[in-house]
Amino acid sequence: MIASRAAAALFVFSAGLAQAQSPEALGWLRKIHDATQKLSYRGTFVYQHGGRTETSRITRDAKGDVERLEVLDGVAREIVRTRDTVKCYLPESRVVKVDRRTADRTFPALLPERIGALVRHYDIELGEVQRVAGIDCQTVVLRPRDNLRYGYRLYADTKTGMLLKAVTFDEKGNDVEQFMFTQLAIGGVTAEQVRPRHKAREWRVEDTEAAPARMAGWSLSSELPGFHKVIELKRRMGQSRPVGQVVYSDGLAAVSVFIEPMQGGGDPVQAGTASLGAIHIYTREVANHRVTVVGETPAASVQRIGNAVEYHRPPQ
Amino acid sequence: MNERISALMDGELDDQSAGELIQTLGAEREALDTWRIYHLISDALRENQPLPGRSFAAPARPRRWIALPIAASLAAVSLVGWLAFAPQQEAVQPPLAQAVPPAPAGAAAVPLPSAADDYLLAHQGVSPRFSFQGMAPYIRSVSDEARATRPDEARGTRR
Repeated sequence: MIASRAAAALFVFSAGLAQAQSPEALGWLRKIHDATQKLSYRGTFVYQHGGRTETSRITRDAKGDVERLEVLDGVAREIVRTRDTVKCYLPESRVVKVDRRTADRTFPALLPERIGALVRHYDIELGEVQRVAGIDCQTVVLRPRDNLRYGYRLYADTKTGMLLKAVTFDEKGNDVEQFMFTQLAIGGVTAEQVRPRHKAREWRVEDTEAAPARMAGWSLSSELPGFHKVIELKRRMGQSRPVGQVVYSDGLAAVSVFIEPMQGGGDPVQAGTASLGAIHIYTREVANHRVTVVGETPAASVQRIGNAVEYHRPPQ
Repeated sequence: MNERISALMDGELDDQSAGELIQTLGAEREALDTWRIYHLISDALRENQPLPGRSFAAPARPRRWIALPIAASLAAVSLVGWLAFAPQQEAVQPPLAQAVPPAPAGAAAVPLPSAADDYLLAHQGVSPRFSFQGMAPYIRSVSDEARATRPDEARGTRR
């Protein structure tokens, strides 16, 4: 029995190793990472999922490290990120949401030196060169080693490494969502182009006041294999709700567990799973708290994490 | 060498060392076999352990596969020789399928929660994907679909 299981396990790894994990593929991931940090660019991109398409424009000024995303269809919502702040402008409700990144808050970035560690969870290999938005792109495929996470097909400009297209696919190989530039110009971005178009004077400001904090008494009865806790925060949502957020990640995919007290008169918890592209949101009630698990993972992964959330009153 | 292969499996090597080692794995048969054996042992162990039971307050340290019993290694060596000629395709599925039990409770489909955009905004900010893709995933937080759960906001009120 053990021998047959072991044999099956060996098939997987010998097959995986034979075809994948070339240093070139890891080198390309690093190149994409560097391009994301170093390039200035301006382009139109579409986000497609489940038959829906949303068009936006992204402008990045690498010199000032400012990036701006504008929704091009319908209401002109926009998000502007500077080195330490993300501001989300919502003209229809005249609200600006502010998420600050303080110095003591470690941002769970994928550091270049950690890219090599992704081979624990993904088989990473180079695909063919394909054209996206008129640009020759190298394909890099990250195939998950289990069905707890999605796979990714990345298309990067062969010259600069800029990521032009990213497709998320499930265990059957079906596409779940994709981000794709339809037009892109690299370089020549002015500071004016990354300034928010909304002045937002007299708009209501919703500051998340996010700060590291421990969620005393809360834990998982079992971890999801490969996903480790990376950060624990307290933040505000909307106008007043205080919410705890615990984040788990395998280095690429992340799952957030939000924990908030059920206050009298609030919506009753409707337990179950909702989805938006590759994002699944699983809600349930634990110890008179609303637990909301949000992750760019298959539904079963957010459900497993959600069902493992438990509360034990901390000793006084 | 074995120590470094073990470190690679545990994700403890930096990108450059990992790249060099992977190159070595491709060139040296002995190193490649060691890599396979460690994975074999790691998976055989994992397959025989119940998945739940770890406390998340104290995450389990990665194991050092190098310290495992010699008997298991020897058994694995003979398997490597035998398996080298076996067809590999059919066997790929079973362990993958076993990795996740049938859909857990909570599979009921529900609409997006009323604060979906807030949750998404908070989540995007902590996802490592940002370092790969810049702001693109933030589109989800301001998409019509995520905002559709807030029909009352236009009047400046909130449930």
